[in-house]
Amino acid sequence: MPSPFFCGSDAHRVSRRGFFGAAAAAGVAADMTGLNVLGSPALASELRRGQKRVILLWLAGGSSQLETFDPKPGAPTGGPFRAIQTDVPGLQISELMPKMATRMKDVCLIRGLNTRNGDHGSGAKLMMRGRRDEPSLRYPDLGAVVAREMGRADSQVPDYVTFYTQTEGRSFAPGDSGFLGARYAPMELTTNNTPEFIRRLDSITETDHRERAELRNMLGRDFVRGRTSDALGSHAEAYGRVRGIMGSERLFDVSQESQRTRDRYGPTQFGQQALIARRLVEAGVPFVRVARAWWDSHGQNFETHQEMVPELDHVMATLIDDLKERNLLNDVMVVTLAEFGRTPGINASLGRDHFASAWSMTMTGASAKGGAVWGRTDPRGQTVTHEEVNAANLFATIYAALGISPHKNYYVGSRPIPLVDPGAEPIEALVK
Amino acid sequence: MPPVPTPESFRQTGDHNRPVITFAVALGDRPGRAYFGCSDFKVYEADLGAAKVEFKELHGTHGSYVTGVAFAAGCVVSGAYDGKLVWWNTAENRHVRTVDAHGRWVRKVVASPDGALVASVADDMVCKLWDAETGRVVKELRGHAERTPTHFPSMLYGVTFSHDGRKLATCDKVGKVVIWDVASGNQLGACESPGMYTWDPVQRLHSIGGARTVAFSPDGTLLAVGGIGKIGNIDHLEGKARVEVFTVADGRSQWVFESDRYRGLVNKLQFAPDGSWLLAAGGAGEGQFEFLDVAAKRPKRQDKLTMHTHDFAATPDFGTVVYVGHNRVVVHKPA
Repeated sequence: MPSPFFCGSDAHRVSRRGFFGAAAAAGVAADMTGLNVLGSPALASELRRGQKRVILLWLAGGSSQLETFDPKPGAPTGGPFRAIQTDVPGLQISELMPKMATRMKDVCLIRGLNTRNGDHGSGAKLMMRGRRDEPSLRYPDLGAVVAREMGRADSQVPDYVTFYTQTEGRSFAPGDSGFLGARYAPMELTTNNTPEFIRRLDSITETDHRERAELRNMLGRDFVRGRTSDALGSHAEAYGRVRGIMGSERLFDVSQESQRTRDRYGPTQFGQQALIARRLVEAGVPFVRVARAWWDSHGQNFETHQEMVPELDHVMATLIDDLKERNLLNDVMVVTLAEFGRTPGINASLGRDHFASAWSMTMTGASAKGGAVWGRTDPRGQTVTHEEVNAANLFATIYAALGISPHKNYYVGSRPIPLVDPGAEPIEALVK
Repeated sequence: MPPVPTPESFRQTGDHNRPVITFAVALGDRPGRAYFGCSDFKVYEADLGAAKVEFKELHGTHGSYVTGVAFAAGCVVSGAYDGKLVWWNTAENRHVRTVDAHGRWVRKVVASPDGALVASVADDMVCKLWDAETGRVVKELRGHAERTPTHFPSMLYGVTFSHDGRKLATCDKVGKVVIWDVASGNQLGACESPGMYTWDPVQRLHSIGGARTVAFSPDGTLLAVGGIGKIGNIDHLEGKARVEVFTVADGRSQWVFESDRYRGLVNKLQFAPDGSWLLAAGGAGEGQFEFLDVAAKRPKRQDKLTMHTHDFAATPDFGTVVYVGHNRVVVHKPA
């Protein structure tokens, strides 16, 4: 259902952001949206590009491709679940995902991942960054790059938010801005759904808080008069961002949504965090990761997936529907990804172990081509037989589908650092 | 009653490699004849008394793992994760009927002691009683919650008849056990064994475990429940093999056994014909069996099996025990 606030035009798209900015400003923070930027035609195209955002559903621990997007029913490795037909002719996925089966025409599915790293720690880093760190160079992860590319200098909402509430595996893949530095480091939520330590201290009144800011601004203006320094600008920007982030607390409050909307996402923590992620990207946050741990099913793989995949199916389908209804799906990409998949072989505990040689991920929205399937695995799911994809190709494709040139260079000192490993190209067939 | 074999007397007399996982076993009406439900969606038959044991495909009509088999009214009744029950006449080697029995995975199928009824349990959380001859539903027993307290689907793992056939017990993922009156379908009582279920709300946000199997003592006074104890790292079946015994009359827990030697699930329990001991079998990466002294409330014999064991079947006198599981079928007999 189309949003009542949006007609689809670029002009209205800008107005819509203005609407959300105004709505937020009414109850949140007077300085959250930077409406002056929206008034500048010169920045309109930049803003359109900047509107691309990402919600990463991080399936920590490694979900099974055989129980999700690459089933092998009837094969000795196939497990007990059936495959069901999707709305894409010839494409079947696991019966555990009936809701997604009717939405695959919006989903770009890669079945040919061979990332060659079956270790939780280094695998998670690889799949968050698209490459391995060098001994003397720590690369930024996907969230930091998207924050850097899609965030706006004047934005006072966080650029990169990550939810990782479970403890298992959290240390394997912390959000990491690498050489981009603290400016693009994530706001990490690890204990509940609301950021800690962003509230004004009870001992300081709102009036005191505001007057302190005004005094600091006045002293700052006097100090910088006649001086030019990047450090001074950064100092003032940091204060401004802090105040904006302090005002963003309501974005994390799902009680601001209708009961119907909250019910749609369901009662689970994953569902509620996905709803918050939608609120955040709608308000302009470029990158939100919702980590759902822990899929590491060495024992009882099928029961673990029987428990967890229906939740993923529901949350993913609801999120896609919600974004679509709000006309956000052209701007927001929902990615499902993990550090690796799981072995086709079934161990004695009815478990599946770590496996990075032939597994799957999805991209939905932005310029990822819906209904596309890339990569094919053998009948037992043990190898990629066609259209193999490594981490660098994958990240090049994600960047391309977000309108970011994967060949863009950052600079560390005078050294150019391309966004992806040299030679990696996006899979053009997956980008609209 | 013939003398009951002692736990110490059992010796392995057969060990058969299989290319599949065997989830369920039932003994037939001829000596040595056994039927197997397997991970290749098929039901097999074997004469375990033959000089050369061969596993012959009986049928492959299921669409998923075959997790329950029972022998009743001349038929092997098999249940699978496809939700279906299949009746197969063994004497005539023919398909009798297929029934869309449950909306979710069938976990176990057992026959009543007189062979007149077949009971099936499934993850739709319903136990159904079937007329073994006609395949018609006799009763639907509903007493287990479909969702766990944390909003995830529950699972109904185990079912057993009492030795007189008048009672039935069912057990589920969160450790709830319900005792039923077979004739009326009414609940007679319930007991809880929450120690079988691990919900990890902090580290991994999912669950593992569950009450997997139940067994009545021959006199009907005790009910044993098997599963796994609390697990720290639920990536693996790391908890201690666990058995809890209740009195049927009041549902009170009488004792809890947590293995000091083996970790993993207890997937099958059965009392000795005289009730003096209880046999528990299961496993994790490897398998084990443990004989528990019912009166002394302690283990009498604990030993490894060559595979994670999903089920076993014994002749009424325990002259033969057939263990089945991961890629093997193992036969034990008293010396």
